[in-house]
Amino acid sequence: MIFRVFDKDELKKLFNVMVSANKVIGPVEIGRDRDNKPIYAFNEVKSFDSVRLDYTTTKLPAKRYFLPFKENLATFSLDADDWQKKVDYNIDRPFIFFGLHACDINALNKLDKVLLGSIYPMPYYAAKRENMFIIGLDCTPQPYCFCRSMGADTALHGFDMFITDVGDLYFVEILSDTAFNFLKNIKTAEPVEDDHIQYMKVVSEKNKKFTTHVDTTDLTKILDMEFQSDVWKQWGEQCLACGTCSKVCPTCYCYGVEETIDINLHGAKKTKFLYSCNLIDFAEVAGGHNFRPERHSRLKYRYYHKHRGFVEAYEESLCVGCGRCGEACLAGITVPEVIASVRGEAG
Amino acid sequence: MDAELRFVNVISDAQMKQHRKSDLSTFEYTYKAEITNIHRLTEMENLYRIQIIDPEERRQFFFKPGQFLMLELPGIGEAPFSISSSPARHGDVELCIRKAGNLTNFLSRVGRGTHVGIRGPLGTSFPMEQMHGQNILLIAGGLGLAPLRSAIAYTQDNRSRFNSVDIIYGAKDPSQLLFTYLYDVWRADDIELSIIVDKPDTSWKGPTGLVTKIIEKMFAERDVSFYKNTYAIVCGPPVMFKFVCNMLNQKDIPMQKMFVSLERRMHCGMGKCCRCNVGSTYTCLKGPVFDYWTVMNLKEAI
Amino acid sequence: MNDPTPVRTYLGVPLYRPRVAFFEFSSCEGCQLQILNNEATLLDFLSLVEVVNFREAMKERSDDYEIALVEGSITRGDETGRLKKIREKAKVLVALGSCACFGGVNQLKNRFGLDWVKKEVYGDSPIETEYVRPLEDIVKVDLKIFGCPVKKEEVENIIINIAIGKAIVHPKYPICTECKANENICLFDLGEPCLGPITRGGCNSWCPNSRFGCWGCRGPAEDTNIEQMKKIMKEHGFSEDTILDRLECFGGFSSYAQELRKK
Repeated sequence: MIFRVFDKDELKKLFNVMVSANKVIGPVEIGRDRDNKPIYAFNEVKSFDSVRLDYTTTKLPAKRYFLPFKENLATFSLDADDWQKKVDYNIDRPFIFFGLHACDINALNKLDKVLLGSIYPMPYYAAKRENMFIIGLDCTPQPYCFCRSMGADTALHGFDMFITDVGDLYFVEILSDTAFNFLKNIKTAEPVEDDHIQYMKVVSEKNKKFTTHVDTTDLTKILDMEFQSDVWKQWGEQCLACGTCSKVCPTCYCYGVEETIDINLHGAKKTKFLYSCNLIDFAEVAGGHNFRPERHSRLKYRYYHKHRGFVEAYEESLCVGCGRCGEACLAGITVPEVIASVRGEAG
Repeated sequence: MDAELRFVNVISDAQMKQHRKSDLSTFEYTYKAEITNIHRLTEMENLYRIQIIDPEERRQFFFKPGQFLMLELPGIGEAPFSISSSPARHGDVELCIRKAGNLTNFLSRVGRGTHVGIRGPLGTSFPMEQMHGQNILLIAGGLGLAPLRSAIAYTQDNRSRFNSVDIIYGAKDPSQLLFTYLYDVWRADDIELSIIVDKPDTSWKGPTGLVTKIIEKMFAERDVSFYKNTYAIVCGPPVMFKFVCNMLNQKDIPMQKMFVSLERRMHCGMGKCCRCNVGSTYTCLKGPVFDYWTVMNLKEAI
Repeated sequence: MNDPTPVRTYLGVPLYRPRVAFFEFSSCEGCQLQILNNEATLLDFLSLVEVVNFREAMKERSDDYEIALVEGSITRGDETGRLKKIREKAKVLVALGSCACFGGVNQLKNRFGLDWVKKEVYGDSPIETEYVRPLEDIVKVDLKIFGCPVKKEEVENIIINIAIGKAIVHPKYPICTECKANENICLFDLGEPCLGPITRGGCNSWCPNSRFGCWGCRGPAEDTNIEQMKKIMKEHGFSEDTILDRLECFGGFSSYAQELRKK
């Protein structure tokens, strides 16, 4: 692994080199909430000054750039008795993520496992993933963050470079030759032992700031044992079945497919839209039978998929502990509380 | 350096031309196929004979009994259907389809010669080769005969490789019986066929009740040793296969020698959309064919 | 106008070009305007259906139609008779918009005594008025198209599906699903009340897209958690009246609102 340090002023130069020839997506402030706290989002950025390097968590993940909420899978052109299908993966140029936190990078790594690693890799995702250049950025744990419990507080791979603020300097970890070449545009130096010590100090300070924890010990088994538990019914009574948790989740990838006909009848579209397992008709089949008609059975399924099924398949959970779902849930349902209650540790 | 990132085309043009060779392009690849015939089976079900148009693609289409495919009508929709025909017929398949939703209703209105799309074959299959040399019980309830028909056709094609072959088939009433035109052929191929209906009409001469009644009769007639060398495939609604499999288990047929097929509504068929998940298991990847032991251990399956 | 209907096909299936008539009762006729609103697709729209009655758009009138798209709610005795006649003639009767589906804004007057309403509105020259009713209180409604106003794209899709013979399925999920996909800031974060979590989707979160909280014009989503909604409104500092105002505005939530008023 290659490390470098550089002066803080250099980052703007790096940004300008990148933005001069590429589409750059970064964290920006898009408004203030009723308590006057900033609301962040990942948007396309043109100027370094609009990038908020101190952002906490965006309300929505960067998902729309690799798993758009709505995406055309194919278009059809139809004439009298025949049709042609055209498939497009809906990306035509690479882009740069300027400042993803470790949780969001880990989310991509998890998605890679199911969307690229299993049989039938998904080209719509692959095309975007292959054309992504990622700059990671360190962060400050927020009260709702439990990434450390999910093992997602640091990113080991899945980025091109990762920048950590170590006081006077930026400490950068370089994973790709593209990143290495980009850094040739600015003044960097080999880190010295003092820099290493400073880096470790920053990391250990960060670790002390986590206040929310989730006990994942034996969770797959416990979820199985407590499948009939009444706690699910209690959470089901709170749940609005609105699907917000899935939409704000950086790893929720479930979807539905729908075909529509153009009004002139000469064309048709096959559209994929991200769906949520909490929505009432997620498990409805032709003829109307619904395998999960109750809210609690759907909410439970979501936890099952994330904390049991995915673990079984890939030895890790499909949750990065970013806390977005709990923050966005109007009914106040949070992952740490749900899991604690299933474990019989209701607070 | 040149600061502009290079665009990566995940499927190069060269790969596009040989689509089957690239995993990525198979995801949304549709074989164009033609409905060559439509055979009315009952008021609600039609048997569609669908042939992949390109002869080479048709020949290369290999599937196994129990597998399904995604059938697409542009603009109308796409849905999974188990294949009902013999695997020996490759990409000239038969699908037994009940009118139940948008796609299937529209399908009941199209005529011969209509072009449709096919993706697949997908999912797991009944391990027919593993059953060679054994007795085989093929038990179906209602539309469960659709996936079973492919296994029946396999046993007909390979009759010498099986000992006794029994089909036990139950339907609600005689008008709902599927594949009636094949019953004589099955019997002629030395397959023991027992049919039972729950609500007989005046012309019905056969037994009345549920498939379990036939199984009880079989239990009374056959020696214990029969079950030692027997595989079972049970297709039908969950209540039915649960009951039947538990009965067969009493005769010491191991749960791993009983196979069932689960029905869920896949949107992708390729382990991505999660719409067919049972508990946290993808029916489209780990199923639709499961041995009964696995099904017993799936949350939400029955 | 007497040309034989051209036979079109889709995937070889002959398409039927239904004769469509538009009618209005007590309403602002804004839903019908929506349909005329998009010139780009209007001709294609007219090639799918034969419009034989559309007061806002044409002079010709015909009583020979298969599909009646009816806007507005029923507030007078003579309207009841007219609606029943339309029902007799139409094979398919479609309630177009919130007034036809739920009574719409008109039904707000149901909260008050009719005498008071008459006096307030018409002063010393009162005219006949009844409590507002949605169409389905009087005749069988085959299909509802929700919204105040209806969304043009949604109506177009429904017309395509009728022409093709595809079943019309409304979204069962609430507006939040669409609002999040549109990456809107949650209105509760901004301190605004919103019925998005309980109102049926399909409008593509039309109002929240403009930072305007949902008033529930499309009526309840399926599996609506009204108890939780009340709690959320309360937690965010909104009074019971604020909730009631919204729930009662278009009539789609009238059963919930009545329940709430009783307490």
